[in-house]
Amino acid sequence: MVLAELQRRFQEAVLGGNPLPDLFAGEEEGLAGGFDLYLQAYRSRLAAALRDNFPVLHRALGDDAFSTLAGAYIREHPSRFRSIRWFGDSLTDFIARFPERVGHPALLDLARMDWAMRAAFDAADSAATKLPDLAALHADEWPEHRFHLMPSLQILDLTWAVEPLWKALNDDAEARTEEPQIQEHALLIWRPALDCCWRSAEAGEAAALRALGESENFAHWCAALAKAGEPEPAMAAATLLRRWVEEGLLAKSAVPV
Amino acid sequence: MSSTIEGFGLGLRSEHYGDFRATRQRVDWLEVISENYLVDGGKPLHFLESIRQDYPMVMHGVSLSIGSSDALDTDYLRQLRRLADRIEPAWVSDHLCWTGTRSLNLHDLLPLPYNVATLQHLTPRIAQVQDVLGRALVIENVSSYVRYRADEMSEWEFIRELVSRTGCELLLDVNNVYVSSVNHGFDAQDFIDAMPASAVRQIHLAGHEDHGQYIIDTHDHPICEAVWDLYAYTVRRLGRLPTMIERDDNIPPLHELIDELDVARSVAQAALNERKRAA
Ligand SMILES: [Fe+2]
Repeated sequence: MVLAELQRRFQEAVLGGNPLPDLFAGEEEGLAGGFDLYLQAYRSRLAAALRDNFPVLHRALGDDAFSTLAGAYIREHPSRFRSIRWFGDSLTDFIARFPERVGHPALLDLARMDWAMRAAFDAADSAATKLPDLAALHADEWPEHRFHLMPSLQILDLTWAVEPLWKALNDDAEARTEEPQIQEHALLIWRPALDCCWRSAEAGEAAALRALGESENFAHWCAALAKAGEPEPAMAAATLLRRWVEEGLLAKSAVPV
Repeated sequence: MSSTIEGFGLGLRSEHYGDFRATRQRVDWLEVISENYLVDGGKPLHFLESIRQDYPMVMHGVSLSIGSSDALDTDYLRQLRRLADRIEPAWVSDHLCWTGTRSLNLHDLLPLPYNVATLQHLTPRIAQVQDVLGRALVIENVSSYVRYRADEMSEWEFIRELVSRTGCELLLDVNNVYVSSVNHGFDAQDFIDAMPASAVRQIHLAGHEDHGQYIIDTHDHPICEAVWDLYAYTVRRLGRLPTMIERDDNIPPLHELIDELDVARSVAQAALNERKRAA
């Protein structure tokens, strides 16, 4: 048997849970050596990766419900990643397609928060823009100046106010928690230096932040704010910029270092 | 940055970043899992580079999949090369295994059939990796729980032949030899005896779980007596070799691993003394 065929059969057997793929010494007697160890190890290793990548969702669901979810996901989404660190990239879509998989619809937003926190953790680095950088800009440089968002920044549009639940369970697996309320808003997740940060934001602020990232320069961004209905765009721009710079949301340059 | 790998090392785990940064530890060198640092930024790379200032390192990968029937992943090879250029490891290792086919990854170190066709498959692939990395690839024997009907030779005969065909070097995992010898009923010393001494760069020691009929290579326990004995035998046969302990689960405080490393030091020293007496 050629190697490709042997590996195809081995892999199908692991994915399908077939203990006797007709490859191993001893199968004539119905014993494929320790092949069942590979079958178990595959599932438990991928489930462990999902627990690592969705630690708060795991706490919210508990071991049994999480492992049911993980088992269903593993069956549908075999890994195509070199590194197991990325396994679970479609779990939020998987939940979104059948929200009953997690019992409460707010847990989809909780899962999205977990994944985004994990992504920010090892996203590209960049030095943050500081207030003195802004002060150093001459008045005639402002209109043309291009601002950049931190490469780690993710802006999530959430339907549920899951942040208190996420924080409580992240701090303490046994925390007593309350049911999240429906509340359309945005969640910002980013990493100004080594540690990840997050905060909730109004939809308007999130739109302005996205617009800044997409605008060719400061003047265009102010025009975009005016178009969005901001009566005093320059004032609003100054206030937002100051806050974002203080929080480390903006990068010094477009190129990650 | 010093690059000489001598003496006794540990696998660098994120649980111990703080200890390695706080003070000089009694560890001669560190092995890092390459995949953990094939990321864009953040704490992993930051701590890696900072700890690299104080310790020689080797890189150890888990997803090269040198034996897969898929083409080698050239993006992955380039990433490995970039990481190697950044941290200047003394060598780069991965396993004699396959991890998946048809673009899937089972995230396990799966055994290959030990036959001539597999040797022919591996030969150009190892050359390709060595080309991209610009150095010899160091290959580790895995533990296994099955034997293929397609096997034509023993694992140790296969490894000998692989070394002579490709010029690859070896990371001899003594625990894996022991685990496989129990699982498949061969004599672990036959395996060690067959190793081409000049190709062996490094030794792995680890703990495992005994499930009666099978031993599982879990890296979550201290090293057992039988593996210490086999390590002593290995040192008597092959001489002084850089040795490290792998612990991937149930990770204890660093000082416990350093204590275990002291056991390795004394087992190796006693074996070297015997080797000298015998010579
Ligand atoms: Fe090993």
